[in-house]
This record gives sequence, structure tokens and C-alpha cells, in this order.
Amino acid sequence: MSFLLNDNEIESLLQEPKPVDAGLVASMRPRAKRGHKEWDLDVQGASVGQFRVVVRQSDANPLDFSAILIYLRPRTNQQFRLRRYNGRSHMHSNKLENQQFYDFHIHMATERYQEMGMREDAYAERSDRYADLDGALRCLQ
Amino acid sequence: METADIQNAFKEKVCEQVELVEEGLGRFRVLVPFMFDDGDHFAIVLKRSNGSWTLSDEGHTFMHLTYDIDERDLFRGNRQKIVSNALSTFGVEDHEGELVLAVPGDRYGDALFSYVQALSRIADINYISRERIRSTFIEDFQHFMSERVEEGRRAFGWIDPIHDPEGKYPVDCRVNGSAIPLFVFALQNDDRVRDATITLHQFERWDVRFRSVAIFEDQEGINRKVLARFSDVCDKQFSNLAGNADRITRYLEEASAAG
Repeated sequence: MSFLLNDNEIESLLQEPKPVDAGLVASMRPRAKRGHKEWDLDVQGASVGQFRVVVRQSDANPLDFSAILIYLRPRTNQQFRLRRYNGRSHMHSNKLENQQFYDFHIHMATERYQEMGMREDAYAERSDRYADLDGALRCLQ
Repeated sequence: METADIQNAFKEKVCEQVELVEEGLGRFRVLVPFMFDDGDHFAIVLKRSNGSWTLSDEGHTFMHLTYDIDERDLFRGNRQKIVSNALSTFGVEDHEGELVLAVPGDRYGDALFSYVQALSRIADINYISRERIRSTFIEDFQHFMSERVEEGRRAFGWIDPIHDPEGKYPVDCRVNGSAIPLFVFALQNDDRVRDATITLHQFERWDVRFRSVAIFEDQEGINRKVLARFSDVCDKQFSNLAGNADRITRYLEEASAAG
């Protein structure tokens, strides 16, 4: 069963400090999977939020990656994607705005897409803030 | 509008949304209008190797699915069947996570149609998981119990042969090996909870000794009154499976040791 968050709640979760041990992040090693690498990190927010950073990168194409900030709903196994920093490996379409582009892009959770029955982070914007996965992770932090 | 005009409109609309972007020698990004449920289009590359052309996702499709699904779950049970069927139906091969289709001769259009259909079927696994298809939760539950309780001590879909020969009151998983057996129920919705409530009441009526435990797919989705009635007869409840794996494991071990 999915749950909805409004724009204020989304913003509040984004603004909540998420202290991360820099040493821990630096020591993380990706797990080899079929066709890609992945690594995850659970982060306890400064208030009540529980979060997870999920990172994926294709073995064949380093520009095909995703760094995702997920909110974990307490006492459930439900996840809510707050932000997703994607590489330049595919097009993206914003259905409500009738936009399409092929570029680095950042997915953002919005109330309006949820209300239309779509994925919470189906809206994305092009970005020139990063050009590789390391840059995307810096943006996420 | 004439039929021919409609046909032309279809062709133009579809054609204009397919584009090739050169990305180097013998390599093109194929932009198509087909996408996942989050607005990201399929990642497809047309590349030349050993004198022939192939379509490839370079591992993107499975990688995208792992945003929501554990990779191990992607390749077992119903999900694995969906993947296998999609690949075999459309002649796509899985090369260590990279989905590949060789273009036969110069039939680029046919190859792209087949390839996209295969990716679409596989991408639907994400939708299925998000909608929490019932069979997947039961699979996950059975897999969980199988890993934690040895085969000789568990019975899925157990029927009491003495009191219930007609099998009207099944138990999702009976765990024996201690003085008092454990009746474990996997509950996804209100109907299943009601059935489990009736079953537990019946076993009480028969004066059968047992301990009961319920594992919900999502307890918060159950009707309050239904849950309240169930809570009166069930000894232990876990609100979901994934978030309580360690606790459930400990409970099963302690229940076995208690006797």
C-alpha cells in the first residue's frame, strides 16, 4: 500500500539534517550485481526521519547511474523517493508538463504527480550541476 | 478523417518519437517514447560488434528495477518467470544483466519492436511490486519461512487431519518441533484476516493446543474492526515482513526452544 506526502511534508523531510560520517561514506564499497554496481546507506535524520541513500551505476556505461535519497516510513517497509540524481543515459518525460529531454536530470518528489496517481518522483528537471556519479553524490549531500 | 489519414497520423507520431543519437564509432543511443512508470524512458543502445549490430540496454533495465526491488527477489519466483517469458518470447538474451538482441540482417525496425516489447514486460514487474500483487507476498513469506525453519519442521497450507479432513480451516504454515506447535498466518488484506480469525476461533473450539503468530504484508492497511477481532485470538503479530525479519526469526527460535 502506498502513502502520500504533500509538498510541505516533502520539503520538511528534505530540509531535515541527515548527519553522515564522512569516513563511513568513503569506506563504502559497491556490491557487484548483474550488469551494475550498487551500494546503500541508511541514515538517521536529526529529527525523526529515517532515510536511505541508494546508489546504482551500470558496468557498461559510467554515465548510466542513479543516486537516490529515500524516506523510510517508520514501522513499515514502505519507501518514498525524495530526490533522484540520474545520469545521461535515457530520455525523461514530464507527463503533466508535456516536456521531454535527454540530459543529466534530477527527479523530485511532488504532490501533484502523486495526486494524479503517478510515481512520487515522476517529475524531473535537467541539471548541469554534475557530469558524473561523484558529482551527483556531492549534490545529493 | 479518412482511414489513410489516420494511418499516416499514427505512423508520423510514432516515427517522430524514435531518434538515433550518435555516441561514437559504431554506437548510437536509440531514443524511444516507451518508459518506466517514473517517466524515465528505456535506455537502448544500438552498437556494432564483430560486424553485426545489436540492441542493448547495457544493464539499465534490471538496474532500474533494483531501485524498488532487491536484486535477489528479481530473479526468483513469479518475477523470474515474467523475465524469462519476456526474454524467450521476443528473442532477447540476458548477458550477465545486459539485455541484448542481435539485429537480423537489416531488420532494424522488427528488432526494435521486439526489443521494446520485451523491456516493457520486464518493466511491468516494477508496477506489479508497487501494487503489491498478492502472490508475491505469499512467495516472500514462504521463502522466508523456508530459510528459517528446516523442511521437516514446517508444513505450508497445513490442514488438521483429525478435526478438519475437508480442509476448511487451513493454516499458512504450521511449525512443529516443540511441545506446542506454532500456527503462522501470512495476511495481506481484510478477507484473509477474517478467515484467519475464524480459523483460530475454530481451533480454540476444538481445544487444540497451539500458539498463533501473524505476519502482515502491511498491518496499517487492515480495517480497524477486523484487526481488533483478530487481535483477540492471535498470540503475536508482526506488522510487516521485511521490516521485522530479525524479530520474526528470533521469535521463531524462541518459540521452538520454549517447548
